[in-house]
Amino acid sequence: MKKLLNISLKRFTLFAAILLICSIPVYYYIIRKLWAYELGEHNIVLTSEAAKEDSFLIILSITSLTLLFFILQLVGFVLINLRVSRILWKPFYDSIEKIRNFDLTKQESIDFNSTEVLEFTELNQSLDKLFLGNRSAYVQQKEFAENASHELQTPLAIIQSKIDILLQNKDLTDLQYQLLDEMQSALSRVSRINKNLLLLSKIENNQFLEVEALDISALLKEKITVFDNFIQEKGIQVQASIEPEILLHANDSLLIIIFNNLFTNAIRYTPRNGKLIIELSKNQLRFSNSGDVSLNRSHVFQRFGKSSDHSPGAGLGLSLVNQICKRYNWVLDYSFVNNFHLFTITF
Amino acid sequence: MKILIIEDEAALAKSISDFLSQEDYLCEIAGSYSEAIVKIESFQYDCILLDLMLPGGDGIKLLKIIKDQKKQDGVIIISAKNSLEDKVAGLKLGADDYLAKPFHLSELAARVYSIIRRKNFGSDNMLEQKEIKVDLLAKKVSIQQREVPLTKKEYDLLLYLMSNKNRVLSKSALAEHLSGDIADMFDNYDFVYAHIKNLKKKLQEAGAGNYLKTLYGSGYKWDV
Repeated sequence: MKKLLNISLKRFTLFAAILLICSIPVYYYIIRKLWAYELGEHNIVLTSEAAKEDSFLIILSITSLTLLFFILQLVGFVLINLRVSRILWKPFYDSIEKIRNFDLTKQESIDFNSTEVLEFTELNQSLDKLFLGNRSAYVQQKEFAENASHELQTPLAIIQSKIDILLQNKDLTDLQYQLLDEMQSALSRVSRINKNLLLLSKIENNQFLEVEALDISALLKEKITVFDNFIQEKGIQVQASIEPEILLHANDSLLIIIFNNLFTNAIRYTPRNGKLIIELSKNQLRFSNSGDVSLNRSHVFQRFGKSSDHSPGAGLGLSLVNQICKRYNWVLDYSFVNNFHLFTITF
Repeated sequence: MKILIIEDEAALAKSISDFLSQEDYLCEIAGSYSEAIVKIESFQYDCILLDLMLPGGDGIKLLKIIKDQKKQDGVIIISAKNSLEDKVAGLKLGADDYLAKPFHLSELAARVYSIIRRKNFGSDNMLEQKEIKVDLLAKKVSIQQREVPLTKKEYDLLLYLMSNKNRVLSKSALAEHLSGDIADMFDNYDFVYAHIKNLKKKLQEAGAGNYLKTLYGSGYKWDV
């Protein structure tokens, strides 16, 4: 890649060099003609040796003069070019720098410097328009997800309440109860998906900003007891090695979301009587649970990305974890080693 | 017992009212901000259920009005927002509880019941049904003067059942009550069955009647 200014400088220099080189024979021819005319007018006759010496002198002086002018011109070109690039192209480079640093996900606007050059003003105006369009599309998309989930909560609440009322009906038959029960579990699933979507868009919309120092060793231990019911029920063997008093600066709700999802995931996908290893050290948290087949790495952290064929979840949990890790610049990684799924967060 | 339901969604307000009315509560419904103001200023309620998003005004403002009047009404916020900020703000302003939509009506009933008991019985808070006595402050259960040793989950379960007496409760409602946030992350509610079984056994061994009935295979009812 060449810089725009270097291209023009090269062309100018080349043109000047060719022009000056071509001018040497022209100057020589004209000066010789003039010289011969003057000699003829004053009836001066030169010996052939003197004539040769003269023409040699003429060529030499013309060439050195041309070279001198060429060098002067070159220096002039470079200086002018530097100045031009500094003044004339400055708004252009400014704009490029601003575009490079622009991040759509951050809620900052882009302000181009005003310039007196028509072309750059037009460029900046067009860019402004483009960015505004982009930003509003992005904001709308984010707001859509949040609003849609919000709006769904009330109808879900209505359906839930009607099922609860229907359950109280004295004439309910066993079959009708079973139907209601199945409706109930589907409804619980919808509510869960909706809740997680809402959470995800809230995190993307930069809510949950408060940060405090959290003793994650204690939190993790507490979570193990909370999930104990579910762990025992599946006969999962838990092996925890947790370094004490490890502090992290984060939002407590977000950290709890991470823990909840890692636990749910591990419990859900570990086969009966399988094994779950939880390790926490100063800069790493790792959940390893036994499993048969590796998950699809490219889908595992994607929204609604089902990374295996038999997953009952909606595929939002790990996407939430990923989103939160991104917020704090932690690295979330998945790998499959020796029939263990390893989910590692590096702080 | 008088309850005011401030909720603009008529279908939901009616469900709540129907469900709570079975419990001898007298329910009134206010469907908008202005309607709510009139009712709050003219009457006394034992418990107010407050939706935060109302046509004509913000529910938080209503909460301020209720608290400024130094009324003793208990307030439960029922909101579709489920944001931590709202919850914290609501509780700071003096709301007694916060329930995010969607919720089980039995969960709401249990919370209403608990608030009304707290408001009306103060420190001497004993809950009695048949031969079962629950000391709500000490969190102890006794039958014929003998204490029944219950785990925390079993105690929670018993209280939930007692505050929803004679109602059919689904396994999912019990699961959500027992494990809060994380219950809805699982599709399998078998752990509820284990707690129910243990509770039933402990109560019967202590000499209580068989009030905890299983209905339709997977529903439960505290039949007293």
